[in-house]
This record gives sequence, C-alpha cells and structure tokens, in this order.
Amino acid sequence: MLFFELFVQGLIHGSMYAMIAVGLTLVYGLLRILHVAHAGLFALGGYLGLLITNATGSLALAMITSALIVGLGGMLVYRLCYQPILDRPPYVPLIASIGVFIAMEEVFRLVFGPYGLTYNHPHLQSQVTLLGLNLRGAEIGMVITAMVLLGGLSYLAQNTRIGIAWRATVDDPEIAESFGIDAVKVRYLNFFIGSGLAAVGGIFISLLSNLVEPTMGGVPAYKALAIIVLGGLGNVKGTLVASLALGVVEAFGTIYIGSYLDRDAIAFAFLIAVLMIRPQGLFTGR
Amino acid sequence: MLRLETLSCGYGDMRAVHGLDLELVEGGTTALLGANGAGKSSTIMSVAGHVQVHEGKVLYRGEDITRATPMARVKKGIAVVPEGRRLFSSLTVRENLVVGGYSLPKPKSDAGIDRVMTLFPRLKERLDQRAGSLSGGEQQMLSIGRALMSEPALLMVDELSLGLMPKMIDACYQAVAELKRGGLTILLVEQSTHRALEVADQVCVLESGRSVWKGSAHEARNDTEIIDALLGLQAGPKA
Repeated sequence: MLFFELFVQGLIHGSMYAMIAVGLTLVYGLLRILHVAHAGLFALGGYLGLLITNATGSLALAMITSALIVGLGGMLVYRLCYQPILDRPPYVPLIASIGVFIAMEEVFRLVFGPYGLTYNHPHLQSQVTLLGLNLRGAEIGMVITAMVLLGGLSYLAQNTRIGIAWRATVDDPEIAESFGIDAVKVRYLNFFIGSGLAAVGGIFISLLSNLVEPTMGGVPAYKALAIIVLGGLGNVKGTLVASLALGVVEAFGTIYIGSYLDRDAIAFAFLIAVLMIRPQGLFTGR
Repeated sequence: MLRLETLSCGYGDMRAVHGLDLELVEGGTTALLGANGAGKSSTIMSVAGHVQVHEGKVLYRGEDITRATPMARVKKGIAVVPEGRRLFSSLTVRENLVVGGYSLPKPKSDAGIDRVMTLFPRLKERLDQRAGSLSGGEQQMLSIGRALMSEPALLMVDELSLGLMPKMIDACYQAVAELKRGGLTILLVEQSTHRALEVADQVCVLESGRSVWKGSAHEARNDTEIIDALLGLQAGPKA
C-alpha cells in the first residue's frame, strides 16, 4: 500500500512539474532560449488564481482567467524581452530572462507584500478517499487537469493543421515560412500556450501549499530546468516522461533516503545520475 | 514571368551575386548553371525571400516583390525545393505535404496530396512514415511534392540530382519533365549540366556571382565547348 501511495504522490508531483516544464521546453525547442522568466509567469498565475478565487469563490473561473492573462503576459515577455535580441548569442536572452524573473519577483513583493497570501475558502483543502488513499481534492484536480490540458496540447500538435505548422516551425523556421507559415505568430502561440499552462500549474501548487509568495517560482523553475535537460532539450515527450519520473523518484526518495538527502537534493542527484548514463537526456531530437 | 534586374544579393556584407539580369518566360524551364559557390542557390533563395537583396529588383508578373516576405511570395505562386531537401524530418510524409499546402484552404490541400501521390506513387506507401527515415530519392520526391502543394506558378528547384542514385535522378527528372509539360514555369539550379540541359529551354551560367553566358539550351547542347569553357566541366552523356 505504501508503494502505491508513494507512486500516486509521485504522479501528482510529476504532473505539477510537467505543467511548468512543458512551457519551458516549448520555448527552448522553438527559440533555443532558456526561458527563466517562465518562473515569474508561473508565480503570476499563482497570485491571479488566488485573488480571483478569493474574490469570486470559483476556482474554475480563476483558472481560465489566469491562464488567459498569463498567456498574454507570456506573449508580452516574448515581444519586449526576446524578439528584439533573437539574433544575439544565446547568453544574451538568458541574461535578459533572468532579469525579467527577478523584476517580476520584486514587483510581486511591492504589490502583494513580502509575506504569503492564503486561500480563504477552506473547502478547497478538503480531502477525499479514493482507491483506499486519502487525497486532497486539489491533488486529484491537478492530475486530471494536467491530463486534460497536456492531452489537448498533444492532440493539437498531432492532428490539426496549426499544430503541424507549429512542429514544422520548430524543425526549420526558415523553410516553414516558405510555405506560408507565419513564424512570428507561431512564436506568440508558443508563449501563450506555455505560459497558460504555467499559470494553471502555479494555481495548483499554491492550492497544495495554501500559500502564494513572491519567491514561489524559484524552486519549481530550477527543477523544470533540470527536467527539460533530463527529457532531452526541446523534446516535449521527453519532458513529460522526465517530469513524471522525477516526481516518482522524489516521492520514493523522501521516504527511503530522506534522512540523507532532502527532496530537492534527491531530484538533482537523480538528474546527475541519469545524465552520467545518458548525457543527451532520456530522449533526443524534437 | 520573373525578372531579376541587376540583382545583387548575399549574406550580411558578403555579396554572393553581382548585378544579375535574368528573365523567365511563363511556362519555360530555365537552368541556372555554375560551379560550387557561383551564386546559384543564393539567387534562388533571394527570389524565395530568404537571402537579402542588396541592389536591384525582383519582379514577378510585373510586380516588385523585392521586399516581400517569404510568406507573401508563396501566396503569389512561388515555391522552392531547397538544396539538401530540408524536409521537416520529425514530421511524417503526409504532415510535410500538409505544411506544403498550408497557404491553401484544407479541401484544396487534401486534393493536392492526391495529386502528389499520382506524380510520385512511391510516396503513397510511405505517407505515415517520418520524412527523416526515407531514402535520398524519396526525400527529393517529397521535397518536390511539398513545393507543389502550394499550387505554384513558378517552381524553383535547387540541386535536384545532388547525392542521388542514377535511378532516382531519372525518376526526379521525369517528374520535372511532366511538370514542364503541364505548363509550370521552372527555374532549375544544377551542377549536373548534362541533366539540366535535357529539360531546359534557356540557360544562364554563373561564375563568381556574375552571369557569364546566356542563351538557349539548344545552343548550349550543340556547342558543348561553351559548357567546357565556362564551367570547366566535361559535357557528355554522364551526369
């Protein structure tokens, strides 16, 4: 039973990581930029989700509104932060991205204060019993939402003309443009979808911890960076597998080796171990 | 149909083509010949909108498209089969064709896939296979098919025979000849002079980015010394 419980906990955390890391890997696949500011958008999603939920009592409304606003925020970050410097060496947009992330953290601190905010609807923290396990509604909601959103994204990418155009642009933007695909629109779409997913991830993480604070993007961001390396940079399928694998390894690790390493250290020990065996990550190509 | 007026183009400050004048007649096939680095591919890619034009004009059906985006050019009817195929290797054959017809409404794009299958029946059984896993010849067929998906009026083909087995070269040139018979205007860039002269009506020879000879393919075929002298290649029955 413990094994099953740990496995389920791993999947819950894995789906949370996937929501953050997919946006990051989409940006890397298309632009070859490590989009650190993604963590700031994730935190923005957490704040908006909490504010809207506390004001209206509707988590669904909060999720949809936050995803749309943060999606537009992601497009704005691309337009203002990356588009003017796309022809520069990769470290230039990376530094700009880190700058945007720090600036966003400071704006959150100035606007919402240095201390955390909490949800004022206790029913959001309610527990249910499922398959003999005591789970929080937010945990089940996170797994279901991740499956629906990531499944929808997969369907979009594989079965629609716009999804195929998107993948073609990731493969070869210059030639994709030769066939009438607007690479700029594809980039905006990329940032919109990736940032919207991060916003939903931010809401669920803040629900699980019942806390939204300015620095909440930090830890998930560096774990997401580790995940996209682990999954093979720019590879969406690899990112999903790496997210779930990391979640499961962390869940088991905290029980069996938790007295030697904390949760975050286990994640990075796993990353180092995998990269020693497969330096290219679990999957290659895009 | 297409007129290049004193076209100079290149990459950054480097000029690959200097003051090229060239006119393509509607329905005709023009071969752009020259050794490696002569500026052939740069010329094609500047017409497609991917290489910066420093001076001169690109006129298409009387309209100045020198500053038009690659997207606008494909919508006007210009398609390119780039050097090295440059297929979307992680996409399937069908998906590559869908991308080729992206500028058209879906029903037209679907009809285009059927037309490409008629031209290259070999691709039919590979529709759901990844483009990167095809043989070189099949990839070239797919690259031509992808370009045809946008229903172009002008097809530019860069190095059709490069790296292909003779049998595959024959198949690709047969397809080009069929397209020519169908009235498509073709600009063919080739290092394999002999093969290009088989299908071309007009010839332009480039050397170090400059046009050094222009004339009919008939003249070039009958006076192979021209080719020898200008390209340093041996004209003969071999490709």
